[in-house]
Amino acid sequence: MRYYDLVRVSVREVLRKRRRYIGVLASIALGMAGFIVIITMGNDLKKNFNNDLDLLGGATIINIMFEQPQLERQEWFRDRTLDAVGRIPGVVDTTRVALKTSAVTTWHDRLFGFNLVGCEANYWKVFSFNAAAGRLFDEKDVSEGARVCVVGTDLARQIFGGDKEALGQVLSIDDNLYTVVGILGGVRAGDRSQFVFLPITTARARVVGISQAYSAYVRCATWDDVATVAKAIPGVVRANQPDRALRVNVAWEPLKQVQRIFWWVELFIYSSIVATMILGGFGIWNIMMATVTSRTREIGLKKAMGALDSDILYQFLFEALCVTLSSSVFGVILGRIGIEYMSNMLGSRPPEGLFVFCLLMGLGFAAVLGIGAGLYPSIRASRMQVVDAMRYE
Amino acid sequence: MSNQYDHNDDNALVIDINNLTKDYVTGAGTISVLKDVNLHVRRGEMVAVMGPSGSGKSTLLFILGLFQPATRGGYKVAGVDVLSLSRDQQAIFRREMLGFVFQTCDLLENSTVYENLELPLIYAGVRRRERPDRIREALRMVNLEHRVNQPSNRLSGGERQRVSIARALVNEPEFILADEPTGQLDRENSLRVLEYFTKITEEARTAMVVVTHDNMTAEHCTRKCVLTDGYLNG
Repeated sequence: MRYYDLVRVSVREVLRKRRRYIGVLASIALGMAGFIVIITMGNDLKKNFNNDLDLLGGATIINIMFEQPQLERQEWFRDRTLDAVGRIPGVVDTTRVALKTSAVTTWHDRLFGFNLVGCEANYWKVFSFNAAAGRLFDEKDVSEGARVCVVGTDLARQIFGGDKEALGQVLSIDDNLYTVVGILGGVRAGDRSQFVFLPITTARARVVGISQAYSAYVRCATWDDVATVAKAIPGVVRANQPDRALRVNVAWEPLKQVQRIFWWVELFIYSSIVATMILGGFGIWNIMMATVTSRTREIGLKKAMGALDSDILYQFLFEALCVTLSSSVFGVILGRIGIEYMSNMLGSRPPEGLFVFCLLMGLGFAAVLGIGAGLYPSIRASRMQVVDAMRYE
Repeated sequence: MSNQYDHNDDNALVIDINNLTKDYVTGAGTISVLKDVNLHVRRGEMVAVMGPSGSGKSTLLFILGLFQPATRGGYKVAGVDVLSLSRDQQAIFRREMLGFVFQTCDLLENSTVYENLELPLIYAGVRRRERPDRIREALRMVNLEHRVNQPSNRLSGGERQRVSIARALVNEPEFILADEPTGQLDRENSLRVLEYFTKITEEARTAMVVVTHDNMTAEHCTRKCVLTDGYLNG
């Protein structure tokens, strides 16, 4: 039987009996669509999950700092070092921080103690902070060394009586006056409710006890990147400046928890997809078995007309393959729609190559599924004795 | 494979059966359905095999078509011992040498007349561009050219049987086996089918074995054999 005839006869049979294949077709198509969406969008989904989970645990934020060694000068982060750290694969952002833990201010003859942080404008992005009121200082404020500050919620309430009341007020720190431009907001703002934030340039120039940035934060794209980034940081720092008393702090426990949760989620999703596909495979197996039985006389007739066992085998096998491959084509279309929808939702664009890779993997899996599920029924059909098939009622 | 068969002589012996026996082993013992059957059919001959129900007519036909093996005896087609062929060689023998007409027509449902006739050509490896002419020629023999694109399930009983005959003819076989070909047809259609059979054996010099218990069918044959208690007489 010529290859062209095999394809034509098999496709014709599947098309004519398409109604019986609708169930398995839908099952495999959905499984395939899920597979493509999860694999293609997986990284973007992780990043998005990461944003949400980060608000709670900061699992992907690494703190790096220079400790004060005995009898030696304390190191601080140079610009080129932070630039190099920012180029480590898996790093999204970095920010330098200078901290003074015992700052004080007076307001209407009352004394208030707080932690003072000098930071860059992308500090907010690294920690996913926003403004509960007013605004957070920006790059311009940092580059100009503006005398503005952002205040933690509790401190604003204690000093000024509320968030809105604090905006525009002037705070005196170390004999310098700073205008309150915003109140810190965000899920993790509670940890810093007793903080005052100044642009790092302003803090270094005006605050007693803050001269250099001894600490920095590195935000990773996903939790999978944290371990490799943490491992790479000391080498990168060493290549750019002395790394004396460098310490890399990773919140390993929250990270492991997040990874564990996501591992279960992934396991559940992949299991569902595999189960759907396997069910589709069993569906095909079942339908092909029923098809072979219902077409017994047809098989006998074809053998009487001179069909070889292999002609019958390849025809039934190709029919099964047609069903799985056409299902996967529908799956690819559905998957593409899903990717477009999720891309719009997440505001990100997965690499096109990944989609093509998934598409090829999906088609390959569909082919294996078709051959696997169709093989036994096809062998059964091909081995039928002509006389038994012809006498089958 | 076709090269090993003798196609040249216009009156050559096509079917040559000697002392053919078929036994069925059952729980109650061995039943001999065919006992030392001898049958010789030449080109252009149409032989009727008659006999009561259960006499082994269909078994003989299935052995002739290599659908089931014989227990003992010899069976040659155009000089070649076909009982010793392998399973694949038997299939090739059927596609090149044999046409089969069934009592129940057995057309592929949901397929057109063209598709039904194309199938033997596909298995025989006939090129696609040669098929329409071969199909048209086979349909011309049974006067059904105008029904070529008709779905098989929209044909009348007589037309279905004529399509079945055309399908048996399309590969230009050496001999045709027909199992009760008029069994489900009225008299008018039966006569027409038998006329086609006569035309085929005369024009194409094809040998034909027709299993029937209908006297009218047997009358149209060039020779009549009767199968009784496993023995073939005539």
